[in-house]
Amino acid sequence: MVNEESNNRKNRRWLLIVSLLLVAGSLLTLVFTSFNDALVYFFTPTEIQAQSKDLEGRKIRIGGMVQEGSLTKVEGTQKIRFLITDGDSLVPVRYDGMLPDLFREGQGVVAEGVWRGGQDFPASQILAKHSEDYLPVEMTEEGISKAKSSILKSLK
Amino acid sequence: MWIETGHFAAILALVLALTQTTAPLAGALLGKPAWIRVGRHAAIAAFLLLTLSTASLVISFMTHDFSVRYVAGHASLNLPVFYLATAMWGGHEGSLLLWTWLLSTFTAVSAWRHWKSHPISMPWILVILGAVLVGFLMLVLFLSSPFERLFPVPMDGRDLNPLLQDPGMVFHPPFLYLGYVGFAVPYAFSMAALITGKAGEEWILATRRWSLFAWGMLTTGIILGAYWAYYELGWGGYWAWDPVENASFMPWLTATAFLHSVMVQERLKMFKIWNLFLIVATFALSLLGTFLVRSGVLSSVHAFANDPGRGVYILGFMSVMLLFSFGLLAFRSEKLKGSISMKGMVNRESAFLFNNLFLVVGMITVLLGTLYPLAVETLSDAKVTVGAPYYNKVFIPIMLGLLLLMGIGPRLAWRRMSSDRLRRALVGPLVGGVVGLVAAFGLEVNHPYGVATLGLIAFALFSHISEIGMALKARRKRFDQESGPVSAWRLVTRNKRRYGGFLVHLGVVLMAAGFIGSGLFQEERNVVLKVGDRTSIGQWQLTFDSLGKVSRQNWVADQGTFIASRAGGAPVVLTPQKRIYERHAQPMTEAAIHAIWQEDLYIVLGDSVGEGWSVRIYRNPLVSWVWWGAAVMGFGVMVAMGQGRRLRRRKG
Repeated sequence: MVNEESNNRKNRRWLLIVSLLLVAGSLLTLVFTSFNDALVYFFTPTEIQAQSKDLEGRKIRIGGMVQEGSLTKVEGTQKIRFLITDGDSLVPVRYDGMLPDLFREGQGVVAEGVWRGGQDFPASQILAKHSEDYLPVEMTEEGISKAKSSILKSLK
Repeated sequence: MWIETGHFAAILALVLALTQTTAPLAGALLGKPAWIRVGRHAAIAAFLLLTLSTASLVISFMTHDFSVRYVAGHASLNLPVFYLATAMWGGHEGSLLLWTWLLSTFTAVSAWRHWKSHPISMPWILVILGAVLVGFLMLVLFLSSPFERLFPVPMDGRDLNPLLQDPGMVFHPPFLYLGYVGFAVPYAFSMAALITGKAGEEWILATRRWSLFAWGMLTTGIILGAYWAYYELGWGGYWAWDPVENASFMPWLTATAFLHSVMVQERLKMFKIWNLFLIVATFALSLLGTFLVRSGVLSSVHAFANDPGRGVYILGFMSVMLLFSFGLLAFRSEKLKGSISMKGMVNRESAFLFNNLFLVVGMITVLLGTLYPLAVETLSDAKVTVGAPYYNKVFIPIMLGLLLLMGIGPRLAWRRMSSDRLRRALVGPLVGGVVGLVAAFGLEVNHPYGVATLGLIAFALFSHISEIGMALKARRKRFDQESGPVSAWRLVTRNKRRYGGFLVHLGVVLMAAGFIGSGLFQEERNVVLKVGDRTSIGQWQLTFDSLGKVSRQNWVADQGTFIASRAGGAPVVLTPQKRIYERHAQPMTEAAIHAIWQEDLYIVLGDSVGEGWSVRIYRNPLVSWVWWGAAVMGFGVMVAMGQGRRLRRRKG
């Protein structure tokens, strides 16, 4: 009688532990499977040129400066096209939608979208820097200075 | 002149904080009560000095003293008085001073309030809070001083970032900090309990109100930030899983777990080590939040300071804190092993266990998503971001699991429950769940998560209602001469903690509805409109009526006037703007929002495109439920805080 009671209790404890592990396991599985899909890597235009094939069909972010003089708009729509530069290479970008306040030529920009080699990068989202003192951290000092000098060149 | 006074006061406060750390330590070790008293006086004096220090910075702002570098960087002659008075925490240096001042305030209050009631722990509480205060004061004084002068003195300041010139942003940081810093007190109590070897239930009872207060403030701070993001950033949402938002969400998750699991310790003397772990984690994550936001390692709106020195310092500070806390915990863990073990699945402590599991997995999810990009960048030089889909995928199931537990937990008995009583307890909630599912079909909710949420919301609601109903019935049986309302009033006021908690749950239910409504059913429209054009979204008909210019003290704006009406109802006017602030080149969008209980109509004015303007319109269902839910939660916390120690005495 007493034995049965304690056995019963032990069983129930096992049930608790097993169900805890099951819940934790399935949640963590969910975490790790969703995680890999949600990673979006960041590239500069030069890096893109180097590995255009490998990136085919992947969601990526491209960062650099908006090349001065490259911005064209389709009149009467929100469609735009511009070039992102890091000073060495250029990537043409297409976008249809409202632009962030801080988007303009000669400023830092990050475009997100799915890479299709050999054509304009169709951006689904454009991020510009958020305050005047702030540059996207993804941009290295070197990239910024190169991009700036390229902008200066394009002004000449 | 003022700023030097403040600077000097802060240096003196550092000396006093050092005294507060060392004197009670020596006093406790050598058995000299007088030395412990020295620590108490030092704590109170440091608070007064830091108050002076903070006031001096505010005065420098009010008097436009641009010879102070920090004032010149964050204010201008034209800044409205309200923002001038609050610009003190508009930047890195000042907000750290605010953190420090709040910490010294809480230290002084606990030295004053708990002096008589906790004579054994008190020296250690003073030592630990003193050490944290020293750490932050050194950061303020040596690495990010707001007291520096600027030469030559500029004629005018660089102004406050226009994004921060908003009431939501003014109150967001102080609330958040009240939460972060508030957890320092329970943390100090828990460490004191470990050191003195009296890690029973005393520290939990003593800090119940502190934890509730800190949790309430943190919740308010997070929601204020979300609200600000919603109407100020103009992207139609309120939560982007931005690293900085995550930084404040992580301590919230562990703190919520803590608030629930301490009840198990109070009642059954179980989960002792776990509770200590949770409070250490909460305070550590509060420090991590400060570190992430204030060191500039994250690419985000908030990262206005880019100084690796500060980052390294706070990282070092955190490591010391974690090593000390977990070291102590490991060292003492033998003593803390309880004699009682878990007993089966279906009881309240198991419900709390599962609640903690969900919340901690949530915290790990956020931690992983926030720190992984930093780790990748440090180790491999590649840059990566973790998108919102990851968080949404994980957090919707977590939210549903928590809603389910919220419906079951309060109806379960501690320890053990007969299957008969269990069946009776779950009838009400299950009926509710069915009602919810039927409602979901009636409303033509076509998303599985939407249906599940509605069912679980109704499940949790009915569970709480029948729980209150049963308690009321039992009371009326015992005191049959009481009238109904009197009974209900007494029921709630005799156990404010329980019914305050129920109110918080009600807030959670409202918020869950808001999250799902706005998250899954948002409609968005991107159009180019000329004046006079019409468009529609959902049941709304909109006309772009006119375009004009408006101006205020420090900005001018293009303002569009839209006339909207829903399903033929009375017309409303919305005026989205594109503002240009003085001294700032970039324009700022100001969204126009019309909120009704079912949904928000949200209009953003873009750039001029040829003859028209680019306009973005959102229909955000149930967004205001998030804000109202938060208000109910806040009210619930206040009710629960009303419960004093009486609870303990009544239990004997």
